[in-house]
Amino acid sequence: MAWLLKALSQLFRPAPKPGAAELQAAFRSRYRSFRSLITANNAALETMAEMEAALHSGKPFGMAFVRGQCTALGVNVYKMIQGLRELSDGRYRDLPERFGLVTGRIEAILSRQPEAVGSSYVLPLEEIDRRAVDQVGAKLANLGEVRNRLGLRVPEGFAITAAASRHFLESTHLQDEINRRLKTLDLDDLEALFRTSTAIQKLIGSAPLPEDLERAIQDQYRRLAGKAGGAPLLSVRSSALGEDGRQASFAGQYRTRLNVSPELLAHAYRGIVAGKYRSQAIAYRQERGYRHQDVLMCVGCLVMVDAVASGVAFSRPPDQPRSPWILIFAAPGLGTQVVEGRSPSDVFRISRDPPHPIASRQVASAGGDACLPDEQARELAAAAARIEDHFGAPQDIEWALDQAGRIVILQARPIGRAAPQPESAPSPDPDQAEGPPPLLAGGVTASRGAACGPVFTVRSGVDAVHFPRGAVLVVETPYPDWTVLLNRAAAVLSASGQIATHLATVAREFALPAIFDLPGLLEQVTDGQIVTVDATSRRVYPGRVEALLRSPPARPNLMEGSPIHRLLKETLGLVTPLHLTAPGSPFFRASSCRTLHDITRFCHEKAVAEMFDFGRRHGFSDRAAKRLVVAEAPSQWWVIDLDDGFREGLDTSSPFVRVEDVVSAPMRAIWRGMTAVPWHGPPPVSLRGFGAIVVQSTMNPRLDPAVRSSLAGRNYFLVSRSFCNLSVRLGYHFALAEANLSDLLAESYVNFQFKGGAADEPRRLGRVQLLAETLRAMDFRVEMTGDALTARIEKKPVPYLRERLVVLGYLLIHARQIDMVMDDEAFVERYLEKIHADIRMIRERLAEEV
Amino acid sequence: MERALRILLVDDEEDFLEPTSKRLRRRGFEVKTARRCQEAMSEVAAGWPEVVVLDVMLPDTDGLECLRRIRRASPLLPVVILSAHASMQAGVQGIELGASDYCLKPIELDELVEKIQIALKEAGR
Repeated sequence: MAWLLKALSQLFRPAPKPGAAELQAAFRSRYRSFRSLITANNAALETMAEMEAALHSGKPFGMAFVRGQCTALGVNVYKMIQGLRELSDGRYRDLPERFGLVTGRIEAILSRQPEAVGSSYVLPLEEIDRRAVDQVGAKLANLGEVRNRLGLRVPEGFAITAAASRHFLESTHLQDEINRRLKTLDLDDLEALFRTSTAIQKLIGSAPLPEDLERAIQDQYRRLAGKAGGAPLLSVRSSALGEDGRQASFAGQYRTRLNVSPELLAHAYRGIVAGKYRSQAIAYRQERGYRHQDVLMCVGCLVMVDAVASGVAFSRPPDQPRSPWILIFAAPGLGTQVVEGRSPSDVFRISRDPPHPIASRQVASAGGDACLPDEQARELAAAAARIEDHFGAPQDIEWALDQAGRIVILQARPIGRAAPQPESAPSPDPDQAEGPPPLLAGGVTASRGAACGPVFTVRSGVDAVHFPRGAVLVVETPYPDWTVLLNRAAAVLSASGQIATHLATVAREFALPAIFDLPGLLEQVTDGQIVTVDATSRRVYPGRVEALLRSPPARPNLMEGSPIHRLLKETLGLVTPLHLTAPGSPFFRASSCRTLHDITRFCHEKAVAEMFDFGRRHGFSDRAAKRLVVAEAPSQWWVIDLDDGFREGLDTSSPFVRVEDVVSAPMRAIWRGMTAVPWHGPPPVSLRGFGAIVVQSTMNPRLDPAVRSSLAGRNYFLVSRSFCNLSVRLGYHFALAEANLSDLLAESYVNFQFKGGAADEPRRLGRVQLLAETLRAMDFRVEMTGDALTARIEKKPVPYLRERLVVLGYLLIHARQIDMVMDDEAFVERYLEKIHADIRMIRERLAEEV
Repeated sequence: MERALRILLVDDEEDFLEPTSKRLRRRGFEVKTARRCQEAMSEVAAGWPEVVVLDVMLPDTDGLECLRRIRRASPLLPVVILSAHASMQAGVQGIELGASDYCLKPIELDELVEKIQIALKEAGR
């Protein structure tokens, strides 16, 4: 019984009050959690900004980027949750669950698999039309359509499907290995790109085909041989899923093998499948926002055409969608001369209207005949017009003329979306413009526009590895291999080739100025020389010619609408929208967090509150708020020392502290800004403005109760030597300024949030706009959600950030009541002028001190 | 003069280990390498490293299991995970087990050094 009494008495004895040393230790450990929470907060906000920037910049990114950013973000947001729970002795128990919910949704988006495709490994061309596009790729689906719906002549053949290539790569376990290698690939490292590409192609090229697939292919070949007679040789071509769509041309990214005998068919097939991982194809997919796993390589096996001539027909010239002309490029024999730009070709301009009269004919061989007779040229033009009508868009058509004089269609695809360029923007007349005479003139405009950069001549893959960003690519022949460089080039110059080459097609897509067939090119320019390329007027100038570069064409956002772009956009829907903007509102709680941004904002706000409350809650004067002793101030200010924010030897038992006792560099900077210009009270309030405030104060139920209850002013600085967090609740405004001034650039930042105001909405928005403009002019990155504003700047040297903090301090005091006077435009004008003049004065004074 | 910081790199990829340790040494760090968790554990047991950079794919043990062992042996030793596996779930698991960060390969040396410095600061060193 005695033991029970003893136990009971112990149970009811009050816990011993922790001593100062224990409190100090508890506070220190909280401060450590707080610091790591703040670091994680910054990293998370930065990652979000990078993801947003990627969405809008048009710069290429791949799945590795999206996954990597999401991982970094998840890690940092989780660290914040962990930090807050440590700070609060394990409260906020529902935060991890909210986090799990949001990240689970994001993971589901990221892990979406490409749609399942049909199950046959092979399909004869007779059975293919547009509906088979997900099985055989757009190139073969279109060819099937041309054969089976339009009744035009195409080679006999069959397709090896997407299901086949998936079966091949999965049954040999190659896909996992390929994914692993691509995941860590840094596309800016061209050497690594070439190395990885070669290694992957080698892996695929040497893997055996699964037996059932090999058998299916051989069966199809026998069927084809029976139909065509003898043992026909094949042309084996890629038809990637997602290739040749309307948005991206994938021109020349993959392989074609000609004259393939049945014995070498399996080998050729592996080669084409491996071609998916050619370096330019990897780079191109990345540039255009295609996930590697979404592009499946289908392969067309078509009977070789014994060709007299072959080439390309455009149902309209590439950059003139309303032109009345059809363009035909023709070269003798069969092959890829025209598209690879290996030899000059005959060019026909033919009317689109029957009977398709020929308007002009340029013959490549001097004094010789055109390699395509007029009659067949007109027949081809008629076919091109029909194909365009059928597909409803201008077409880029590959064709051949067989020994019997018949036109055979080898391929049809929509003309690559030419980047929007001014239809007839005249180049400044070079003779009128000041500056040097052109270095080179002539050739053909492969893609319009002007650009400037150093010349870099590429003759081989080795040269390509060293191609610098922003250089002018100079080549002798526009091989498709060089497309890998187009995302880094400023312009393209080629000594030969014409607009039907793959390189020209891709240059147009990238809105890259390009002149081809430029006589004397290689002799006239030297590597490293700065030149200005004016592709529109087909001239190259030495040096930089500003007049030509004045309005560079905006690069189109090539990622827009691509699968990866859509995926990032969808992901960001769960990341960046901010629903928790009003701290203290009943909705400002863990269960309201719907995005990762909400969670970071929630954790940050609550962590600051925990640090603020510690001293008071534990009656611990060392770490309790001390009233700042100031002669004149518009409100009351409190300071809490987190670590080493007060001068050494200060008597910490006093409830007061003077500004001189504070050694926190960021707080001193903010305070300096707050007191830089004498405080004259709020500007005179217009009658309407004042009325609106009174009405808002009494009628608006959405007014944040925490803000209202703190009308008395709860403005406090949390400080350490390098860190300061200032929360200001003046009137109905809530503002937060936070900064860390560290010699470690990675840790340095200034963060500013602003919300609220008692005026009606248009005026609040007006003020936020004005603040945003002022902050942007000082290089802050500013975002607005309704009348809430956030502004950030990071990783800058201390003096640079200090200057911005001083200005922020000034703005906190002087800009917060602009909305009350926003009705009176003249007054706003004057008030703004004064603000800008003050800021100039403050910055000049700071500059003088340096 | 300050003593050089001791970093233990745990990774089985030779392509990563050699150049990275060389470049870290050039920056003035003292670096040891381990190719297996077991090797790493004996360094940790001897109290040598001040920070560990840990790959999560090791030949003998799952990297997270290795992290667990390191924490057991030395609960306050800062560990930065460096992984080729981008996954929010894996990242959170790493943090839950006490890693200071979960970074992805490839990583620039400057960034790695930055992560190491932050890890040390957070550990209060």
